Formats: sequence, C-alpha cells, structure tokens
Amino acid sequence: MTADVHALIGPWAVDAVDDDERAMVERHLAECDSCAQEAAELREAVWRLSDATIADPPPRLRARVLHAASRTRQSAPVPEPEPERRPEPKRLRRHRGLPRLRLALAAGALAAVMAVVGGLVTWSVMRSQEPGATDADRIAAVLQAGDAEVGTVTAEGGGDVTVVRSEAMDQAVVVVSGLAAIGQDRSYQVWMVEPDGQVSAGVMDPGERSATMLVSGLGDAELVGVTEEPAGGSEVPTSPLVAGVSLQG
Amino acid sequence: MPALEQLLHSTALGDEQAFATLYDEAAPRVYGLCLRVLRDPAQAEEVAQEVLVEIWRNATRFDARRGSAGAWITTIAHRRAVDRVRSVQASGERERRTAYGEEAGYDAVAETAAVRLEHRQVRRCLQTLTELQRQAVTLAYYGGHTYRQVASLLGTAVPTVKSRIRDGLLKLRDCLEVAR
Repeated sequence: MTADVHALIGPWAVDAVDDDERAMVERHLAECDSCAQEAAELREAVWRLSDATIADPPPRLRARVLHAASRTRQSAPVPEPEPERRPEPKRLRRHRGLPRLRLALAAGALAAVMAVVGGLVTWSVMRSQEPGATDADRIAAVLQAGDAEVGTVTAEGGGDVTVVRSEAMDQAVVVVSGLAAIGQDRSYQVWMVEPDGQVSAGVMDPGERSATMLVSGLGDAELVGVTEEPAGGSEVPTSPLVAGVSLQG
Repeated sequence: MPALEQLLHSTALGDEQAFATLYDEAAPRVYGLCLRVLRDPAQAEEVAQEVLVEIWRNATRFDARRGSAGAWITTIAHRRAVDRVRSVQASGERERRTAYGEEAGYDAVAETAAVRLEHRQVRRCLQTLTELQRQAVTLAYYGGHTYRQVASLLGTAVPTVKSRIRDGLLKLRDCLEVAR
C-alpha cells in the first residue's frame, strides 16, 4: 500500500490525482520525511512550468482583486504542530505574519466592536487603576480614542479575538468572543508578550469562552495572545496560542 | 525570487500596498496558468480572482521553510484551475475544444520580452524529457488531466503513466537546478 501511495507523488505534484488520492498522499507525506523532501523538490520544479504560460490579465482584474481583498478578513496563522508534549512551560512562540493592529479609520469599526462589548463587560484587569471612572467608561474611552487601532483574528477552533489599542492612552481593550468550548477545569488566559517574556493580562473564568478586558500599561508589548490553561490560569503559558494579535505598528 | 517572499510576509501583516505590488508580480503568472488550463478567458479571469484573493486571505499561512513563494502561489492557482476543470467535466459541460495534443497550444501563448528567457529555459528543459515523459507531464499540468485520463489519452498503462510523470519531473528538476 505504501508503494502505491509513493507512486502517486509525481501525479500529486501536478494535481493529476483525485481528492481521495490527494488526501492519501498528503497523509503519507506527513509521516515520511524523505517523501516530503522529494515532494517539495518536485513542487519547486513543477511551478516553473508556469513560466511558459505567463499572460497579462485584463486590466480590470487588478481593481477587482484589490477591492475584494480590502473587504476580506485574513486567516489566522496555522499553529505549528507541537513536536513533543512540552516537558517545561515555555515562552510563547512568536508567529510570523500575525495580523496586526490597523488604524480604525471609520467610526463604524469601533461601533461594531462596541456592539460586541456592550453585552460582554464581564471583567477587567488593570495594571494601574484610576479612581472614578467605571470599567465601562474606561473601555469606551479607548474605543473612542482618536488614535484607536483595531485588529481581529479568528481563533483556532473558532471565535474571535479583537484588540483595540490607543497608544496615546497606553491602553487596550481585548474582546474575546465565542472561543472553542472548554471544560470547567480549564480557563482561557490572555497574555501580553514582551521582548523579554510574557505577562499575564488576565484569566477568564473556568469554562468561560467570551470576555472583555481593559489592559493598561502596554509598555513595549509586542503581542496580545490567548492560550488555554488549567482553571485559574498559569504563571507562564503551557500551551500554544489559540489566537494572537500583533501590536507592532 | 526573494522579493515575492517579502511581499507575502508584508501581505500577511495586512499591508494592502504590499499586496498590490504582489498582485503586479504574480497576477500574470496566476492568470496565464488559469487560462492555459481552462482555455477560456472569462473562466480564467474568474478563477484568477478567486486565487489572488485567497493569496491575500491565506498569506498568514505561507511558510518559507516549506517551499518558495512562487511554488506556493502557483500551487494554489493550479489546484483551483484544475478543480474548476474537473467540476465542469463532472457536470458534462466542458467543451472538448481539443483533446489529445493539447500541449502544443503553449506555443500560442503570447510572450513578453521579460519572460521569454525563463520561458525558453523551461521549454529547453522539457525537451530533455523523453517523448512519453513530456506528454504525460504536459497533459497533466497544462491540460489539467488526471493520470488516469492521461493514460487513456496516450493509450498507455496507468502504472507507466504514474512513473513517467515522476521521472519526467525529476529530470525537469535536475535540468532547472543546473540552469539556475
């Protein structure tokens, strides 16, 4: 059977297999390093066949594609498979190509976030408390800040994480919404990843899948990330990110 | 082509300007390949649009350690074009404009001066394949045929076609690497 699958690597590299065969080959490649190596080399040769077919598209296609892209949300990066079950808690991996905050030009973007926030003000964590204002007021102030930037990612397993950050206020609102269901013995935990490590920004209630939080004192944090942890949270992350939003401008 | 990798990484960060540049670099390749496989400008345009928007959406998933940006982009384009051909075939609508001998059609693709050199290199390398290897590879890649269809088009046994495709690609790889 392995021999049969192996004989399909050539046809697979030129998409000359059916869907079942494609799935079979790709399962095989995941388990066989030397086969994956050969497959990658064939792919590098195959794509050069398209050198011979280059042709100018109709000019109108450019505007259509760019317009469609501007209205299309980008996918969350695929988390790397864990090579081994981590013996030690370790630093959150930095992902290349994380969606980053973008200037929220339209008031509409903030209105949409606020609509979500409205029903979800469940808790907040602040590094420095200011007396007077309520949490809801403070959150609203960030969302309405003139320099507010917003970034949203789809989490692994479903749900969204949205970060709205005001650099001038040095605060961010993190909205976690509808993450994958977890048991009562697990909590989602939000982290700020800084150049020299990560700081817990808050632990959600066990089993809870949605929450809104205000984070103050962002400092030089590079990333807001969410992990799944034992109920009550961990000192350092013990599992890969289910979502991450880069704060780098 | 490190520039494409860089553009993909910037695109993955939501940089629309980088994506516009990536479009200019990659769209002729994506569109041209769709046109070659689909043989219909309207469908090629439609599929090319889907492919290019998919590149925007999934740029976050491009991993340079697993292959070049050119291979990543072209693989998405070819797979989409082939999927379209197969679904049209399945619904029985595909016009059989040409059957056997389709690969001769790549002579007709308009060349621009900028791509002529690369184009010539690939064609020269294709000439290093045996006749059967070349026919099997080009019918599969440019024609969008499965290896079973290729076997029936060439009147050759299925296992032979599978190995000719692989052998042909290995030869192509060696020739292109030497030429680089």
